[in-house]
Amino acid sequence: MTTAIANTSARYSTVDRRLKLAIGVLCLVGVGIGAYLTYVHYEGLKVLCLSSGGCETVQSSVYSKLAGIPVATLGLAGYIGIMISLAIRGEAGRAIGFALAIVGFLFSMYLTYREAFTIHAYCQWCLGSAFLMTLLAILTTIRMLRVEPEPVARTGKLVPRAERRRIERRQAARR
Amino acid sequence: MASRTKQKEEARARRLAEERARAERARRDRRIRSTIGIVLAAVIIVAVGIIINSGGGGGGGGLQTGTKATATQAGVNSLLAGIPQSGNTLGNRKAPVTMTYYGDLKCPICKDFTVNGGFSQLVRNDVRSGKVKVVYDAFCTATCNGPDRSEFPLQQAAALAAGKQNKFWQFTELFYHEQGDEADAYVTESYLDGLARQVSGLNFAAWKTARNDPSLTTEVTSQQNAAGQIGVDATPTLIFKGPKGQTAIQSAATYAQVEQAVKQVS
Repeated sequence: MTTAIANTSARYSTVDRRLKLAIGVLCLVGVGIGAYLTYVHYEGLKVLCLSSGGCETVQSSVYSKLAGIPVATLGLAGYIGIMISLAIRGEAGRAIGFALAIVGFLFSMYLTYREAFTIHAYCQWCLGSAFLMTLLAILTTIRMLRVEPEPVARTGKLVPRAERRRIERRQAARR
Repeated sequence: MASRTKQKEEARARRLAEERARAERARRDRRIRSTIGIVLAAVIIVAVGIIINSGGGGGGGGLQTGTKATATQAGVNSLLAGIPQSGNTLGNRKAPVTMTYYGDLKCPICKDFTVNGGFSQLVRNDVRSGKVKVVYDAFCTATCNGPDRSEFPLQQAAALAAGKQNKFWQFTELFYHEQGDEADAYVTESYLDGLARQVSGLNFAAWKTARNDPSLTTEVTSQQNAAGQIGVDATPTLIFKGPKGQTAIQSAATYAQVEQAVKQVS
């Protein structure tokens, strides 16, 4: 039985490591998009775009800013925030990453709605970022809802509370 | 004896398993509760963001009052002072280049172009000098996607009614400056009346009478149909015609973009 528990614990750690890796990679791509759009905005450069004028129309619209801050810059901050949350151990890190991804996802959906029904133009960078935020929302939700196995001592005895906390800390450090 | 020990071990294993299951259930419940809490908080944060974002362009939207309204009127008057107008045309009728501006008064991108984009500079430099004239034709986009598409003929005909007194552009400029949220059905009689009262030199009673002329609504419809026939599908669409041909821009263009288009057809 203890072997089964140890295996479950190991499997949990492996899956969590993979989730963190995937989230990290997606965030890196997001940081690239956010940094590019922020740079273009503040330098006053033309956005590289596949469709004629779509990106410029979207970037110059009233919806491209929130309280005077370009939404691309807010997106950049969001991706960086999710990356930082990966370095925070335990439940707090998972919750912060999940919260940022959900806010990013919901706001991306709103901006995509505005592109489709108000601006009548699409920006591939924004759609790309919305896609990344959707994936991040899914992955961080999985990570948030997964419950790590209850630690037990190898003897099969129930673990006292203090000992259980020490084991949890060790497991978190390994992850 | 061996059997008794085995029974004890099995009972302990069962107890352990039950306790493990209970503990995991408790943790799972706690986790689900935190997840729901975070999602609710995220929805509230995004809703606040959306409210700020939607109102961001309109400065709160709706009619301005007090010193803000006075400043807007002064800016519009200064921009258009001395430039000839006739109906929906701004500038010298003999100008070599014509820019046809397909717009919707509720369209926020048209507002971007007119208020913050290249339009003001085009008026100051090229329309004032007689190089370019601007013709505004109605094309329904934001209003038709909004809550009440019947606002479209109402608002566009109100601008054309101001055009009967050669104040079309003052009315249009003020509309864009004081544009509300396209998701709101704010184009009411009182909104249009309030806007008309801000147009310097407009005979309000004559404007009200002109608005009842059904030919204005017919004109709006024919502008819309003509635009559709030449392939206009978004606003603002800017079509430049001059001695060297024709070119088009379909965005809230900057002055540099507009200037390049003017050069191309001049």
